[in-house]
Amino acid sequence: MNFSGRATLQLGASLLMLASAWAQADDNVTFWVRMQDSAVAQPLVKAWNGSHKEQISLTVIPNDDFITKFGTAAASGNVPDILAVDLIYVPQLAKAGQLTDITDKAKALPFANTLSKAHMRLANANGRQYALPFSAEGSVLLYNKGLYKKAGLDPNNPPKDWATIEANAKKITALGGGVKGFYFSGACGGCQIFTFAPYIWASGGDILSADGKTATLDKPQVKDALEFYHRMWSSGQISAGSKTDNGQNFINTFLTGKVGMVGTGAFAIGLLKREHPEIDFGITPFPGEKGGTGSFAGGDSIAIPKGSKHADVAYQFMTWCLSDAVQTEYFAKNGSIPVRSDLGPAYYKDDPRLKIAFDAFSAGQAPYSDKFPQLINDNNGPWATLVQDAVYGGDVNAAVKKAQTRFNEILSSK
Amino acid sequence: MSQPTLTLDDFPSTAPPAHSAPVEPTAQASRHWPWGRILLLTFASGVMVLFLFPIFWSVLTSFKPAAEASASPPTFWPSHFSWQNYAALTDVGVGIGRYLWNSTCVSLMTVIGVTVLSVLGGYGFSRFRFPYKSVVFMLVLATMMIPFQSILTPLFILLNVLHLHNSLLGLALVYSTFQLPFSIFMMRNSFDCVPRELEEAATLDGCNVVSTLWRVMLPVVTPGIVTVALFAFFTAWNELLVALVLITDADKFTLPVLLQSAQSQFMGGVNWGVMQAGISISILPCAFLFLLLQRFYIHGLIAGAVKA
Amino acid sequence: MIASLSRRQAIAGGLFVAPCLAMIAVFFFVPLAMTLWMSLHDWPLFGPRSFSGLANYVQLLQDASFWDSLWFTTRYTLLVTPALFIAAFILALVVQQPGRLSGLFRTAYFLPVVIGMSAASLLWVWLYNDQVGIFSAILMQLHLIDEPVQWFDSANSALLSIVAMVTWKMTGFTMVLLLVGMQAIPEDLYEAARIDGANRWHQLRYITLPLMRQTFALALTVSVIGSYLAFDQFYIMTHGGPQNSTIPVVFWIYRAAFTYSRVGYASAMSVVLLLILIVMSFVQLYLLRSDD
Repeated sequence: MNFSGRATLQLGASLLMLASAWAQADDNVTFWVRMQDSAVAQPLVKAWNGSHKEQISLTVIPNDDFITKFGTAAASGNVPDILAVDLIYVPQLAKAGQLTDITDKAKALPFANTLSKAHMRLANANGRQYALPFSAEGSVLLYNKGLYKKAGLDPNNPPKDWATIEANAKKITALGGGVKGFYFSGACGGCQIFTFAPYIWASGGDILSADGKTATLDKPQVKDALEFYHRMWSSGQISAGSKTDNGQNFINTFLTGKVGMVGTGAFAIGLLKREHPEIDFGITPFPGEKGGTGSFAGGDSIAIPKGSKHADVAYQFMTWCLSDAVQTEYFAKNGSIPVRSDLGPAYYKDDPRLKIAFDAFSAGQAPYSDKFPQLINDNNGPWATLVQDAVYGGDVNAAVKKAQTRFNEILSSK
Repeated sequence: MSQPTLTLDDFPSTAPPAHSAPVEPTAQASRHWPWGRILLLTFASGVMVLFLFPIFWSVLTSFKPAAEASASPPTFWPSHFSWQNYAALTDVGVGIGRYLWNSTCVSLMTVIGVTVLSVLGGYGFSRFRFPYKSVVFMLVLATMMIPFQSILTPLFILLNVLHLHNSLLGLALVYSTFQLPFSIFMMRNSFDCVPRELEEAATLDGCNVVSTLWRVMLPVVTPGIVTVALFAFFTAWNELLVALVLITDADKFTLPVLLQSAQSQFMGGVNWGVMQAGISISILPCAFLFLLLQRFYIHGLIAGAVKA
Repeated sequence: MIASLSRRQAIAGGLFVAPCLAMIAVFFFVPLAMTLWMSLHDWPLFGPRSFSGLANYVQLLQDASFWDSLWFTTRYTLLVTPALFIAAFILALVVQQPGRLSGLFRTAYFLPVVIGMSAASLLWVWLYNDQVGIFSAILMQLHLIDEPVQWFDSANSALLSIVAMVTWKMTGFTMVLLLVGMQAIPEDLYEAARIDGANRWHQLRYITLPLMRQTFALALTVSVIGSYLAFDQFYIMTHGGPQNSTIPVVFWIYRAAFTYSRVGYASAMSVVLLLILIVMSFVQLYLLRSDD
């Protein structure tokens, strides 16, 4: 028999391959960021590597798969040295002991009191600080000035309460030809917290208590906001695709020029100017029922995962990102809202619309909960279901009752 | 040999003889009622259009300028052909060339691993008797029923222990294992169909076990091997989730990870044109390989090469 | 002599199958054992774990949403499997003869198989899209509808839309499996039947179908397992909507682990799913066993 020789050969070859895989330990500092931030993160890391001895290697991860990836990595203790993560995940990660406590260092930062309040609040657990702001995104109401003019509305006078939104939407829908007054992605929990919850906040309501431990969906502002959306849906101001849109058309419908108003983020300003110069648009903060304004203050926080092999470099990098020069050059001038309130002008000086977005972000908020993924982001979770049931189903009271119960179940679970 | 059923190829009665070369022309063929064949041909062509249209439409759209690719309602023919969407793909991460190279490496390693292991295994299961053979074989098949999404975490921990995480080799080993149950099954069946006399003759000619497998059996089971290799390639080329979880260095990501990244803008908003470019690029090598090898694959199977 | 021959047989056979068994043991059975181990723990995605015995399994038995998703997966399987079989069998009959035209059709029917499930899902979600999708646009051009169709609007139409996509993608595969079976039927059987005056239908009914029993068993098992493990198409095309009505069981497992951060519970679901599939496969193979 001759094959034992072959088998040995094969075994040898595979051992060789194994060995080569083993040898590739590399000393770079690793940094994970989600796709949404890659446009700022890539030049940023390049600049750092050009001016520092310690090299950072950047890994960009698709938005939807970020937690899957970080979760499996954490399970084996193989975490990146620096992590930029959607700010809403920070309470969960901090509570589970995944992040390094940086309280004392953070307090000592000269610009500590200018840092985004929403980011800092969500990065704080039991009085300890676990992350710093990295990138910012504020939600605003976007409207098509061209359609406003066609419908006989004043394009420079955006709505300041819900009744005006409804009235304007009706006039725009009346233009016909497939034009609709309003749009939102109805099957997407993340989109809803970003562009629907601000109506509730602007009216003085909230979805969670201040400590994030109980649901407050039974407050009148929540019901009123749901009814406001339901009225627009049932009277045909919103195109039918809204109901099943799990975010794919989040901004796309507005880009077709056939939608009057849509809630979106500051990112849309740059996108529209760059890719759709033909659309004349305005932006305004989300109004409350009778006035007031609201916005979701989002973006990413940057933290040092427990198990980071280069915690010192990581912290240096984090503070470097927050320095005047970097915030101005790589964030503000790149069309990304700076996370320091004192550096706003560099961002908005050329376009008054950017000022509106910046102000909306600065006054905005984000819910604090270590259950955020289950409650809000899950497209099959209670928040997304609430909007589905109430807005498209129409029985607002029953939907609210169901969601309130489900929220509290999840909030009280371990 | 005569025709048991209607065939498509004897339809054009004026067709050159080359058309029906593999089949002996028969008197019966010309007696078919032509309407039956017309109907059959129409049906077959209609279904073909249905099957090919989505692919055609995606490829066509990928060449539209961005504004046309995302126009609502969709435009039918591009005003001009543009590489814009493909150019957008080259800007993502470390550039599409690198991802293509990584995917090619992983796919080839997987193909080699799966082919070698399943030929050996299939031969072993087909031709040798050893204790608990059928139990072992059933166990191998049972692994087809494990949803890999649910062993993602353990798999990652395991590869970490083996120092194979974040390596294309590790990824290829995982893909190979995913493909093995199906491949072993295919190869065992292929070997089962080879007449015993062939081996007996080889043994009489002085071949040992290995040279019998290498010189006599392999040429006969080529269609099986091509099948197994093709499916291994498709799996490795197209898989996203495991690649995403196991690979950490941006310059080791495979093509599906790039596509997943490239098409998502904000809140899952999609850039349709870029997405079609990505889909087209991911289809192209698979379609090309399949067209190249189908001679051995489908044709080989149909022509009766494995017929017992 | 005989004893030593069979020992040599056993050793040679063992050596041939050893490499692939080793791979499967390392990369399948070890993770599976770990899954089993994790299923006995309260194992969050992040943070400390603790042993919890059979608690996950006890909870699973009472978890209506798990059984709902299992039932949904069953419904999906019951739709996809016949759709694939009927389409594949008809197409297999159409293209079973060698020849250039049949070859062309075979190629066309098989081509979607080479596309990955996630790419195919992305492709179809775009075809179905109400704003930019071609399906609604064509129907509107033909004046069959006035408004774009909302394919994912209701539970049933979302499910059927996915079944249509999967049928497009997988029919070619089933077709080839069936073709192989058809080709294995000896030609002289048909010959003899024709001499006895059997028409085409009789040949199909009394020769082709019965003799393809084993092929059917194989194709059926493959299709059922594949359907029970469906994930990508739902994850990408419906995200489980509308109103949580399209969540197959693997999607549930994924959600439990990565959204609800309960890896231990997800592991328990995986173990239960695996057991169910094994039992089902045995039942199928038993029912469709060959008579000899």
